[in-house]
Amino acid sequence: MVVKRPELRKITPRIWELFWEEEPSSSLRNNRISIKNWLENQYHSELLEIRQGYQTISIVWKNEGPEDFYTSFPEYFNSEDLKPQTWEIPVCYGGNFGKDLDQLCTEKAISKENLIQIHSQSEYVVEFYGFLPGFMYLSGLHPDLISARKSIPDRKVEAGSVAIGGKQTGIYPLESPGGWHVIGKTPIKIFDKDQTPPVNPQPGDFVRFYPISEEEFDDLSASSKTLRQS
Amino acid sequence: MIKDPASAIILKTGPGTKIRDLGRVGFAEYGIAQAGPLDQSAYLWVNHLLRNHQNEAVLEITQPGFSIRFDAPTLICLAGAKAQVVLNGKEAGSSGLIPILEGSKLEIRNFELGSILYLGIKWGFQSPSWLGSRSYSTGISDQDFVKKGDSIPYFTNHETTTIHTFSQANWDYKYLSESAIRVYAGPEFSQLPKREKEKIIGYEFTISTLKNSMAIQLEEPFPNQLSEIYTAPVYPGTIQLTPGGKIICLLSDAQVTGGYPRILQIHEDDIRILAQKRSGNRIKFKLLK
Repeated sequence: MVVKRPELRKITPRIWELFWEEEPSSSLRNNRISIKNWLENQYHSELLEIRQGYQTISIVWKNEGPEDFYTSFPEYFNSEDLKPQTWEIPVCYGGNFGKDLDQLCTEKAISKENLIQIHSQSEYVVEFYGFLPGFMYLSGLHPDLISARKSIPDRKVEAGSVAIGGKQTGIYPLESPGGWHVIGKTPIKIFDKDQTPPVNPQPGDFVRFYPISEEEFDDLSASSKTLRQS
Repeated sequence: MIKDPASAIILKTGPGTKIRDLGRVGFAEYGIAQAGPLDQSAYLWVNHLLRNHQNEAVLEITQPGFSIRFDAPTLICLAGAKAQVVLNGKEAGSSGLIPILEGSKLEIRNFELGSILYLGIKWGFQSPSWLGSRSYSTGISDQDFVKKGDSIPYFTNHETTTIHTFSQANWDYKYLSESAIRVYAGPEFSQLPKREKEKIIGYEFTISTLKNSMAIQLEEPFPNQLSEIYTAPVYPGTIQLTPGGKIICLLSDAQVTGGYPRILQIHEDDIRILAQKRSGNRIKFKLLK
């Protein structure tokens, strides 16, 4: 796969950014992740850390960045080297767990069953983490479910809440204020600060939601299960 | 060497007091802020004078009205803001080493200049560590802030060191009165029209009351035509401009990504100048090429 060359922005002597002036897409994501992996191998000892955004890779160097950096990029990356995994996340939709589900169905003029079906049959991709510890930016929300964020955010969204905001869906790993429409809740701990790393899915991995009943929710909560791969 | 466990009891504290070390480097990829000290130089200085490892945990105090009692002899060190400090009822300086006797009580009253004071201790505070750091951070540490009644462990060797004050290096308070903050152009700076670029660099801004360890919002509105961006990485020292015209300067506990245009990035040595400011203080940005 030919990789579009990103623009190099040297923000400070230590913070650099690679920027792709194009709409987020699966090919941009694969390019970005391939380049991130390449950078981590190539500059292992010079790098302090790498962060990602939809159109960006941001690099923090331990000292000043290397002089030969931009000329040292390979011309091609094989994104088939990326081996994405799929993570199955149980969700109890609606009721007390998804307080905004009914309202959202009314706004979208679709039935609850239909919304749950669309949401749980789509395949999502982890773009990167941000916003809160362990919060996955997921792409792949079905266009029929796109919904503007609440004009007044809720003061408290519970940990495990599954919600829709704009073109995105996500899971609140921690209790937090939030402006997304909460449609359900997962009993699975997505983020565990006592584990290293505290999260399992990697950028580029797939996420699927599957509906569970309240009884199953209680059983899974009691067994404090962690995320499983399919 | 004798290193026995001891504890310090928090008798009184305002909001915002935290345990800090250098924080969690390398966890941003999981959405976790580094949560390092707000004023890194002052933090490093206390550990340096104590001859501690640079990552030893200290107390970061951001409000007047703080009081602590040590149940065993030790050596502590203060640096950062200029404050009224009282040890066992007697005035003490707000910077440098202070020998502590069993049962000593240290009070921090008014802040005269600046807003962040570090209290370091020989061998560091031994509070719990999460993901490789003792720094308090919402969602990571078991508590967000130090509160009244907390007992914070440390090590004692049962001896009180004698300090010769004349031999102590002085903490330089000059940066607390500095108003110029050196900045680099951020990734979205070029999207601003020339007139607005000149305005943001030339004008004086006021620190608003919206200030915590995540961010400082500036008082003056800054109307602009920039739109939100696709979520992108941000850092302590990143200055965001919202479509609503607010200027937000990010600090240690900020999110690792954001959706507002990133117009400036503060020089890493000058973040402390901003972090030490109080609401109502004035600042101006000086653009580095």
